[in-house]
Amino acid sequence: MAGGVISKEKAEPNLTPLLDIVFQLITFFMLVINFASDNYDQRINLPDAGSARPVEDDSRISEDRLVLNVDSEGRLLQGEKVMGIDEAAQSIRHQADLVKLSLRSSGVKFDPATGSLPTTIILRADKETTFGAVLGIIKACQSQGFRKFALKAMIRS
Amino acid sequence: MAHKRGGIEMEGPDVPVAPMLDMAFQLLTFFVLTYRAAPVEGQFVMNLLPPQAATAMAAAAAEPSASNDLPASLRTLPVVLRGDDQGRLAQVSIADLDVSNAPKAPAEELDRHFLDPDAPFDQTLIKVDPNLRYSDLMTIIDAFTDAFVRAKKEPKLSFDELRAGDGA
Repeated sequence: MAGGVISKEKAEPNLTPLLDIVFQLITFFMLVINFASDNYDQRINLPDAGSARPVEDDSRISEDRLVLNVDSEGRLLQGEKVMGIDEAAQSIRHQADLVKLSLRSSGVKFDPATGSLPTTIILRADKETTFGAVLGIIKACQSQGFRKFALKAMIRS
Repeated sequence: MAHKRGGIEMEGPDVPVAPMLDMAFQLLTFFVLTYRAAPVEGQFVMNLLPPQAATAMAAAAAEPSASNDLPASLRTLPVVLRGDDQGRLAQVSIADLDVSNAPKAPAEELDRHFLDPDAPFDQTLIKVDPNLRYSDLMTIIDAFTDAFVRAKKEPKLSFDELRAGDGA
């Protein structure tokens, strides 16, 4: 009679397929995660544009770049710091000095009157800001020798 | 775990998978929580001249280029963008001709200039009302980029501030 016999066999679910799926999900999230998102200031609402080029496809952008975030009030955002146009111009001058110092140390001569710095200015301006505010930033960059600009926009689908 | 092979029962190593699964779930939770879809950003890449040169481009007859004997002032398509009190695009003038600010009208006018083989324009100076919103300026840059692509020309844009009396 088997009534009083207790089976000592444990139920052992096979966890290997579950582990496989979890590892695949981890791999997916590791590949698509974007840690370098500090340049994408969430306070900026970019304007829409249909013909803006995707960032990855544009080979004309040099590796050397300076990202400028301009908010709806026309102020320059640098991390938690919010700068008016005068302070922004000072910051841009400081960045330009660093680029020039780097060029000098690598033996490249820079003529401020005719030359242009190899750095590309990535301009992320809020769609509600005025052209006057954006032009103020562009002029501050141009006065320091920056000529290459990339105006950011959301790609309209 | 016991395996049967050829009628002989073999004892294999019993690897505990549950702790590994716990770790994997923790990793998965971390990645799911920190995942943020990257915004689909695009860009317009351009070489912008310094303010003095941009202003001088339309005003003065600059040195003729090697490829074109016309002075820069004649090769420059003048565009004026005016905004209303709210900073919205109110008026678009292309080559001193007022164009409707409806989305397709500037593109059609630009095609008329850029697709015409006899038209001398190979660069554009856009004078913009300083109060115009950046989003409205971007729609015009968008139209220009499209027009340059259709005409298979290299985009050459310059911006300047619209002053009182300009393009009046």
